[in-house]
Amino acid sequence: MSSTEQGTSSAAPAEPTTAPESAAAPEVPESFYYVHGKDKVVHKVSAGALQHSALIHGMISNLGYTEEQAKANPFPFENIDGDILQMVVDWCNQHKGKPTPPEDTNLPKQKEKLFDLVLAVNYLEIKELLTYCCKQVAMMVKGKSPEEIREIWMIPTDAEDEAAEKEAKKRAGKEAAGETAAAAGDAK
Amino acid sequence: MILSKYPYLVQREILHNMEISELLLLSFVSKNMKKLIKLSQMCRFSRISSVDYSSDPKGLTDVHIEFKHDYREHIMRIWEYEEADNDYFKLNVSGKIIDFRIHERYSYPVASFHSYDKVSVIKSIHNYFLDFFGDSIEYWWKAVGYKHVVPQLQNVSASAIIFDTDKDFPIRKFENFFFSSPVFKNIELFFLTKPEPLNPDSKFYQAESVDIDQHEHTVPAILRHFQGRQAFVRCHKCETLELKEFVDRWKSGESFRKLEYLEFNILHGRVNQNQLLNAIGAKHIDVTKTPPTHMLPKVFVSFGKKETTDPIISHTYVVRESDNRVASVLFERRTFSFGVWDKTEEEFLEMVQ
Repeated sequence: MSSTEQGTSSAAPAEPTTAPESAAAPEVPESFYYVHGKDKVVHKVSAGALQHSALIHGMISNLGYTEEQAKANPFPFENIDGDILQMVVDWCNQHKGKPTPPEDTNLPKQKEKLFDLVLAVNYLEIKELLTYCCKQVAMMVKGKSPEEIREIWMIPTDAEDEAAEKEAKKRAGKEAAGETAAAAGDAK
Repeated sequence: MILSKYPYLVQREILHNMEISELLLLSFVSKNMKKLIKLSQMCRFSRISSVDYSSDPKGLTDVHIEFKHDYREHIMRIWEYEEADNDYFKLNVSGKIIDFRIHERYSYPVASFHSYDKVSVIKSIHNYFLDFFGDSIEYWWKAVGYKHVVPQLQNVSASAIIFDTDKDFPIRKFENFFFSSPVFKNIELFFLTKPEPLNPDSKFYQAESVDIDQHEHTVPAILRHFQGRQAFVRCHKCETLELKEFVDRWKSGESFRKLEYLEFNILHGRVNQNQLLNAIGAKHIDVTKTPPTHMLPKVFVSFGKKETTDPIISHTYVVRESDNRVASVLFERRTFSFGVWDKTEEEFLEMVQ
C-alpha cells in the first residue's frame, strides 16, 4: 500500500528479514518514488506499482535516484485531484506484479469522479485501468434511450453544435483579423 | 460528465466497449456523435460481413450483424406497436418518426410499426443502416414462412425457408408470397405433402438458388421451369425419362440458360445409370485419363453447411448445341449431378489430363 507523507495514513517500513544462509542471492531492495496531486499530499509508491503507468515508468527509468533524492523530488501532477491520485495509487499497488483481472468492480460509481479518473488515467497512461474505466463509462448508458444518453454524457444537440461551430468560426475570423492588423502595424 | 471533453482516443475506447445496438442508439443523439462513431469504429465495422433481417411467420423481424468468423450480434427488433407499453420514445429515422422502446432483457432497441406503415418503417430503418454501416457489406432478408411478403429494399438479397406445416397447404398464399416479394437469391423448401404445382411463371422459379426436400412429390416441376443458377433437390421418385427431358431441354438451349449446377437426389426411385447416359446422348472421356473437377461456390451458404458444391469428377458429359458449352454428368449413389462449364467442348477437353 502507499504511504501518505502528509496525509492520513503512513506505512511503517518493513523490517528487513534475514535471509537464510542457504539462499542463493539476496533480494534486491525495492525502490520507492513519490508523487503528489493538486492537494500536495505526497504518496510513496514502489517502482513496481508505478510500472502500470507508462508515463511515470518512462520518467523514472534511468533516473537512478537514491531514496533521499526521490523523497526530495516528488513528481507533481497538479492537474490531478488528490483523491483521484489516491485512487490511482491504490489501484497500482493492488495490481502490482499481478495479472489484471478481466473486470474491476472497485471503480467509482459517481459520474464526476469516474470522469476525473478517466482523464487522470489517460494522462498517466495506465492502459489496463483506462480500459476498465472506459468499460464503466460505456456501461452507464446501457439500456438508455438517446435522450437519456444525451443527459448522462452531456452531449450537445445538433443546434448547439452548429451554434458552437459558428461561434468558433467567428472567433477565428476575429483573431485572424487582429493578427493581420497587428502585422500591418508592425510593418508601418 | 461531458463526453466531448475526453481526448479522441478515450472516446474511441469508450465506444469500442459498447455493443453495436448501443452505438446505433447513440448515433441518434446528434450528427456529430454519428460522425464520431463512424470514424472511430471504422475498423470494427470493417469486420461486419452482413446485416441480416430475419422475419418469422408471426411477422416479427430481428436484425443481426454478422461478423466475419461467424460471430453475430442482435442489434434491433422490428415489431408491431403494443398499446400497453408506455416506454416508447420517438426517433427520426431517415426522415420518418418511429416509436422505439428498449428490450427489457437484452437492451437492444425495438422499433414499432402499425399495420398500415410496416413497410415504410422498415424502409426508413434500412436506409439508416445503409448510411450507418455503408453499402459495401451484404444485406439479407431471411424469411421463415410465406405469410409475410418480403419488402423491396435497396441492396438487399432475399432468402426464404418454407415448411408445409399446414395440412391443407394454401397454394394461393404461397403463390402470392413469391408474386409480391422480390426475386429470391435462395429458397429452401421442405414439403412433406404433395402441394399443387406452382404456376410456371411464378417468381419462385427465378430464384438464383433452390434447395428442395419433396418427400411426397414425384418429378418436381423444378426440372421443367427453373431459371436460376443452382438447384439442390431431394425427391421421393424420379424416372429416367424426366431426367432425359431435362437434359434435352438444356442441350437444345431452350431452357436453363443460367444453370450452373443441379444436384438431384432420388430417395427411393430406381434410375439405371447406363440407360440414362444412353438416353441423354452422353459423351465419354477415355477412362485412362483424368477429367477436370467441377466445383462452384454456393450462391447461398446456410449456417454450418459447405461453402462449395460437391465436386463432380466424371468421365461423361453433354454439349449444348447452341453455344457448344459443356456440362459434366454424374449419376452416383442415387444422385444425379449436373455441372455446367463456362467452356466449349474443345476448351473442356484441353483440361483432361
